[in-house]
Amino acid sequence: MNPEVNRNILIAVDASENSRRAVQYVADLLGGIKGFSATLLHVIREPEEDEFPDPEEKEKWYQEYRRQVDLMLEDYRRMLIGAGFAPEAVSTRSSLRYCPSMAECIIAERDSLEYATLVVGRKGLSLKEEFLFGSISGKIVRIARDCAVWVVE
Amino acid sequence: MRENFSQESLHQLAAHWAPSQNKNHPFRIYHDTSDFFQIEYGDIVVLNDKAYLVRHNAKEGRFGLDDEVKFWVKRAIDLSNGETKFIKLVFYENFIARIGDISFECFRSPVKEARILNLIGHHPNFMHGFSVPDDQGNVVRILDVIFGLTLADHIWALAARMDHETYFYQYFPEILDKYIECVEAIRFLHEYGEKHGDIRRDHLLVDRDSGQYRWIDFDYNFRHRENIYGYDLFGLGNVLMFLAGMGDALVPYIKTTDLKLYGELNDNDTNIVFNNRVANLIKIYPYIPKNLNRILMHFSKSANVFYDHTTQLLEDLYEFKSCFPGKEVRNEP
Repeated sequence: MNPEVNRNILIAVDASENSRRAVQYVADLLGGIKGFSATLLHVIREPEEDEFPDPEEKEKWYQEYRRQVDLMLEDYRRMLIGAGFAPEAVSTRSSLRYCPSMAECIIAERDSLEYATLVVGRKGLSLKEEFLFGSISGKIVRIARDCAVWVVE
Repeated sequence: MRENFSQESLHQLAAHWAPSQNKNHPFRIYHDTSDFFQIEYGDIVVLNDKAYLVRHNAKEGRFGLDDEVKFWVKRAIDLSNGETKFIKLVFYENFIARIGDISFECFRSPVKEARILNLIGHHPNFMHGFSVPDDQGNVVRILDVIFGLTLADHIWALAARMDHETYFYQYFPEILDKYIECVEAIRFLHEYGEKHGDIRRDHLLVDRDSGQYRWIDFDYNFRHRENIYGYDLFGLGNVLMFLAGMGDALVPYIKTTDLKLYGELNDNDTNIVFNNRVANLIKIYPYIPKNLNRILMHFSKSANVFYDHTTQLLEDLYEFKSCFPGKEVRNEP
């Protein structure tokens, strides 16, 4: 194996089935092969300033959301370890940030962490949903630079 | 220190600006507007030391539901100068919006509307106003009244008087110019990271004084997914389709009036979301230039490339405009 090759993989996830499939794909493909490390990333979109009636409600929402995210990330982490990844080679990361574009936020995380491969699931949006709301995986494919992007369907 | 209006002083002010007001009417005075259902005709709302005399609730005609009362929007008189204003009170509402068969969660955002009012200042293509907190910190918006028809009513009024070809060559060029101004206005919002949130042809008013089209109602909000501006762009496309077609070109109507044309239409000719509206207008009106029709087809079921940003739509509109029209143009009535 060429030691110069970056074998760090960033898997951007949420609670959807397509994210689970993406994690499973990485687990099946690379589990048990030494030298790879994976980080499971979930970006928490900062809610708009008045999405909640008061700051307490927002904090309550955030704490609950964070708890669910931690559980989700731990679940995915176990999937990778169960497939043969060394426990120390799997990390999790979640960050709360202002996110007009989730794809750009994920790419920004990748840039700051210097992962060579970015993995995302594809939701399988209908044409009209993609038109109205945009596609995160589609945009990542379009704007990612200096890394490989795996889109798992 | 907070201004305390006496009944006597209020009656003096009201007598000046609203002489029809009953002189013996005991004013109920609200500094806290949380319970907007309670605030009725003849009540006083005091905001930022100004007294507003409430006349009635605003109404909105919308897709057949004419005169839907908006209890949180009061038409009122500013008793300091007699100006009529809309006072938009805080109404937190979460609801599921449905567009075709797609649904998503929306909420009313007074703070967003206040932010946008502050951002646009006196921009000619938006409603104007400012926000002020009431005693409970509710973000109340005080809006100037725009006199004029909705763009939808304006176009339907033209449609009642002429055929499409006359409209298209004689009136549409000027309408297009004004529409482009409105797209520029939305681009301005987007450049500041704001979305309108509910772009529809009845959220554009034709200002009777200036003749300009002006966006209203910016308080709709939703947790966007990837493209923060996608829904606004969809709205802009629908408005353009409506303007170019002098109304909606409805498939069921064509089916009953022109079977030959109906036979020539297929699924890909329709609006990407509203499948009963024809986007491929050139099939109905063959004189529509191809470069305009191409823009419309970005909003059709056959589209495989979408506009991501208003700048892309504007580029295509300017390109079309540069070679249109060819015939005599009349000013809009």
